[in-house]
Formats: sequence, structure tokens, C-alpha cells
Amino acid sequence: MAEYSRIAKGSFTSTGAAQTVLLPFVPNVVEMWNYSAANSAPAANAVVSAYWDSAMGQGFALETGVYQTYATTPTVLALVADTVVANGISTFSAGQLLSFGQQIQIASISKASPAVVTTASNHGYANGDVVIMTGLYQSPTTGMPQISNIPFTVTVTGATTFTIHWNTNQSNYTALSGSPTGAFVKKVLYPYLYLPADLTIQTIVTGTTTTIATTTAHNLVVGQEVAFRIPSVWGTTQLNSLPNNSTPGAPLYGYVTSVTDYLTFVVNINSTGFTAFNTNQTVASVPGLDYPQVVPVGDVNTGGFPYSGGNLYPSPVITPYTGISYSSINGPAIQGAFFNNTRQGFVIGAGAGTNLASSVLVGANGNQIYWRAMLTDLSSP
Amino acid sequence: MSITTTGNLGPMILQSLAPAMLYVPTPTMNYITITDKISMPVNGGTTCRFMRPRALQPPTIQLGNSGIDPPAQVPQRDIIDAQMAFFGTGVIINEQVILQDQEGVLAWVSERLAVSMRQAEDLILRDYIVSAASEINAGGGSNGDNPTNLGLSDFSLVSTTLDTNNAYKFMSGIEGSLAFGSGPIRSSYFMLSSTELQTDFDSLVGSGVINVWNYPNNTSALPSEWGSVFNLRILTSSEAPVARAASANGQDVYYNTVCGKQAVTHINQDGYSMNLIYRDPYYSGMLAQNATLAVKFAQAQAITQDTAIRNLLCTRLSNLGV
Repeated sequence: MAEYSRIAKGSFTSTGAAQTVLLPFVPNVVEMWNYSAANSAPAANAVVSAYWDSAMGQGFALETGVYQTYATTPTVLALVADTVVANGISTFSAGQLLSFGQQIQIASISKASPAVVTTASNHGYANGDVVIMTGLYQSPTTGMPQISNIPFTVTVTGATTFTIHWNTNQSNYTALSGSPTGAFVKKVLYPYLYLPADLTIQTIVTGTTTTIATTTAHNLVVGQEVAFRIPSVWGTTQLNSLPNNSTPGAPLYGYVTSVTDYLTFVVNINSTGFTAFNTNQTVASVPGLDYPQVVPVGDVNTGGFPYSGGNLYPSPVITPYTGISYSSINGPAIQGAFFNNTRQGFVIGAGAGTNLASSVLVGANGNQIYWRAMLTDLSSP
Repeated sequence: MSITTTGNLGPMILQSLAPAMLYVPTPTMNYITITDKISMPVNGGTTCRFMRPRALQPPTIQLGNSGIDPPAQVPQRDIIDAQMAFFGTGVIINEQVILQDQEGVLAWVSERLAVSMRQAEDLILRDYIVSAASEINAGGGSNGDNPTNLGLSDFSLVSTTLDTNNAYKFMSGIEGSLAFGSGPIRSSYFMLSSTELQTDFDSLVGSGVINVWNYPNNTSALPSEWGSVFNLRILTSSEAPVARAASANGQDVYYNTVCGKQAVTHINQDGYSMNLIYRDPYYSGMLAQNATLAVKFAQAQAITQDTAIRNLLCTRLSNLGV
């Protein structure tokens, strides 16, 4: 037993997509076993176990899986060793904002709602990832630079395609095609380190209450107090917290009364008759174009996050996408409080084996995965 | 005749440690400077709560002569919560290092740990502000990007925005003097910028931008202060946030935090703002081989006056030659 090493174990049910495991350390060894794969009749390409050592490099893994030697009956299966060289096991240390993944060339963006982005090579994104795009010009005066540097949550529709929550099917947007020079997309590696956060607005539905949709997961709760910053070209400036003509200097705020989904929430501001929200900005207006934002400024809650069958006093929950949520690693807080979501740990990816080309490291949806992670005292070399 | 040289009688000890340690390049830490600071009491739960009363409507309508009182107003307040978080790091030093090294390893490692803790405080505040404060894209520059490089109108716009929001300024003005090249300095908010933007500031000197060395006197200037423009005093640091290759044209985007008093509050846990912990090797394993040195601290932060803070985003006029 080494004195300063760290060892952790755990389990999760695979969704078939990359699984993040939070730890109080960054491991240099990770092992995993797929109990479901081992506990059923051998099936071709099932990954039974895997091993990763930091010396292999990020995204690699050594896996043991089922190989089908003949495609026709009689089926002959064998347990073989294989390597994963992309989307295997990796570690992360999410401590600072404004960290980005590699730039990927954009092949095209459609005029549609939601807009479909096609990349020139596999993007490797998963649902809930956040990206920014730059260089969105089809010509010096056409394209979609209006949405440059806006963070968008992606919905993955294929290896080279995903959609973003924006209506580009408007007169001032021109579809991008032919891999325009300088048109890139890149992943924001750690978009939710400090929550709640400033958000970019994609739509506003006015009425007796006001419904807001954002471009990335809002992570707001009922009772959250919000302020609006809407430049005049976007229309609905009456929501802005200042100026207040009846009580000079007193900012006008709204409260979140319901959360529709991870992108949409309702605020108790009667916006009947307010100017319609307009995202049809011109390319010519892009230099200096400000974006419409909603800013969390407080809350009226007094209780902690609700018990949901896990910890008795749960930590704040982050929901980056429908059906995906996780807790921060700190303790319980008042709902709506500003909290720190910096974290570290490892990711088991959905990468395929070099020979078991149809295998998925993290297993199929519903598979029971056990893992063990270590940070060793002694590492040679 | 034989001459004894270092070739046949060399010094027995070839090295001598220079008496002074070399300095460690360390960014200036500006974010902690602009915060209000409060302490959260022990046994006070996980979350620090702030309360700000809302202004009451001024009674500008006369009572008239009916003798009937006007309806009462209902006082309101806004509540801001921030959850405390704990941080720490340390080193494990084998006793042989302590016994054999000549340079006082425990002393300089202690200093390094303390500096890393202060840097962590600042970086956490920096990233929190990037995350939570609303943004304005510079549009007054000439480079055609979004955001553009900083133009004079951007400085004016952001300070006007804070003035219109009734933010409190940090610094009173400095009256002009007859010193050649100097100019009066207005009462000011702070703008926290990147050192990489100093070439752009330099290009605006003479157009309303005044370098700190052209203040009538710089007794009130802070160590990291670059200069002043309109109602802003600019503090620069190499650790200021930059989103690399993120603008419309793929250039670096700089976050210039412009804020007034009480815009951001730094909250420490009472009695836990900094702990430097040394454990003698006695407390390690059977053979008591390893000492440990560590720091830990607790910190929360909140934007406590959202109307008094903006991140002014910009690109640069030209790329750095580095």
C-alpha cells in the first residue's frame, strides 16, 4: 500500500455515449469492465474490459473484446486484445475557462431552423457539447458571420453533421458551402465552470409571461432572478433592466417561473406589446454587433437542491442537454446560488477498436460498467 | 619552471550557489483588487447571502386637498447567493531533499505555494467574471472584425453605460498640473485588460489616452496601472482572459472587465482565508521519510451589482510580433 496514491472505484450504466467520471484527482491508470457484455452470450465486437495508462496518451486504450473470425455460420468467436487510438480513455482537469478543442474546417451551414453545420472531417462531438464558430463568410459580404463567437449547444446528427439552435433561414443569411477559407468550428472544452452564467438569447416569445430560449444550456432554476441586455437592433429592448422611467436608477428584473427544458425558461415579465425579437441581422452590421443576453442576478430561493434519490443533501446540478445531468463536486447550496463547477476526472469514450472496428469502448446503451481509477505513487518511467 | 593551473589543481568544489534566487515571472493579480471583500462566519452554512433593497418610487404626485393618503408602497429587495468552495494544493518532500539540498527548499517552496494560492484566487475571480458578467463587443475600432479593436468610442460607451447605471467609481480624479505632457485624470472605474493590448493603447496616446507616466502625479497609481482614458483607469496583466482565435475573423478576443465599486464581491471563510500547512516527516509512514507542505483556502464570489460591470470584448489592431 503506497502512502500517497489515490484509488477510486465506481460503476455507471452506459448510454452508449462517452461517459465522464468526476474524481478528486486526475488518474494515471484507469481500468473498466463491462459486466453486461461478460454476463451475456458472447457477441461480436463486445468490449469486455479495457485498460488505460497515461503513458499511452490521451484517448487511447487497450481493450479486450470479442472477435468474430468468420462472418458466416458456424460463428466462431474469440476473445482478443485490441487497441483504441481515438476516443478511448482520457483525463481532464477543468479549472479554467476559454479552453478550446482543435479547429475543424466547416464544409457548409444550411439556411434552416435549426441550422445544420457540416464539417469537412469527423467532428467527434456529442449531444450537449458547446461550440463556437468563426470565419463564417461565403464572400466578403455574404455568409453567416452574424453568429460568429456565439456559444451553441450542439445536437449531433452524424459523424460530420450537427445542428445549432439558431434560425439561419432568414433573408440576411447566406448558406455556407464549399468549405470557405477560414470557416472553423471548435469545441468549448469547459463551458459550465461557473454557474449560473451570462447567456446568449436565441428567441424571445412575448406575452403575459415571457419565454426565453438560449443558445446554450441555461442551468437556471425556478426562482432565479434575471436581467436582460438586449441591444436595439435585436428588438425587444423593453426587457432591458435599465433605464427604468418610473423609478430612476432602479433596475428592472424578472423571475424564472418555470423551466421548460435545458434551453428554455419562462420569466414573469408581461411583455405583451413589446417589440418582436429579431435575429435577422445583416452581414454589414457585424463589426461591433452586440449579442442579446440574459444575465442571472439573484434568486429568491431558501432551500437547497431537491433530493432526488442520491445524496441526502445534493450539490447543484448541471444539465447540459436533455437527459444529461450531473452534480458539481462541492456540497449543497441554495438553488440559484452562484457556484463553482470546476472539476477533474476521466472520460471513457465511445471509440472503436483498431481491429474490432465496430466495437464501442464505453459499451452499448444499458450496459453496466465497473471502473477503477488510480493515481500511483511510483511510476516508471 | 612549472606553472600550477586549474588543469592540474582544479578547485575541489566546482559550483557555488549564487546568493540570490532568480525571480519567478508572476503575472499581476488585478481581479482581487477590484472586489469588495467580506468574510463569511464560521458555522454559517454553505452559502453566503447578500441583500440589496430596491429603490422606492419617488412620490412626485402631489397629495392634493382630499385628505386621503396615497396607497402604500411595498418595499422589495433582491437576494444574491454564492456557495463557498474549498481549494488546496501541496507538495511532498523527501527528508533527503531537506537534509542534502543547499538552498533552503522548505522556504522557497512555501513561498511558491503561497503565490500559487493567491494566483488561484485571482484566476477563479477572473473566470467567474468572464462567465457571469454581460458582454459588450467593441465596435469603435477600424479592423472590421467582431468585436473590433478598441476605439475611443468604446471606452466612452462603456464608461457612459456604467455612469447611466449609477455605478460608483473607484478613484477620484487627479487635477491637472503644468507638467509638460501631462493631463488631468477623471474620476474612474477600473478596466482590467491584457498586457497584449498595450500596443493598441499606445497607438491611442494623444487621442485621449494618457499613460500612467503622464499623470499630473502618479501617487495614486497602482503597480499594474497602464494609464487612463475618459472615466477608466486601465490595469493590465498577462493573465487577463483571452479567447484565442474566436472573433468573426478568427482573431484573438480579449475580455476587458470594466467595473465600479461593489460590482464583484470576494467572500472568504472566516479563519480559512489561507492556511499554510507543514507536516514534519514524523507524520508520514513507518520510517518517517516525507514532509508535506500545503496550502488551502476557501473562496466564493458573486456579482453583487450587475449594473456596475461589463466585459468589453475586443480584438487587436495588429498581431503581436511574438
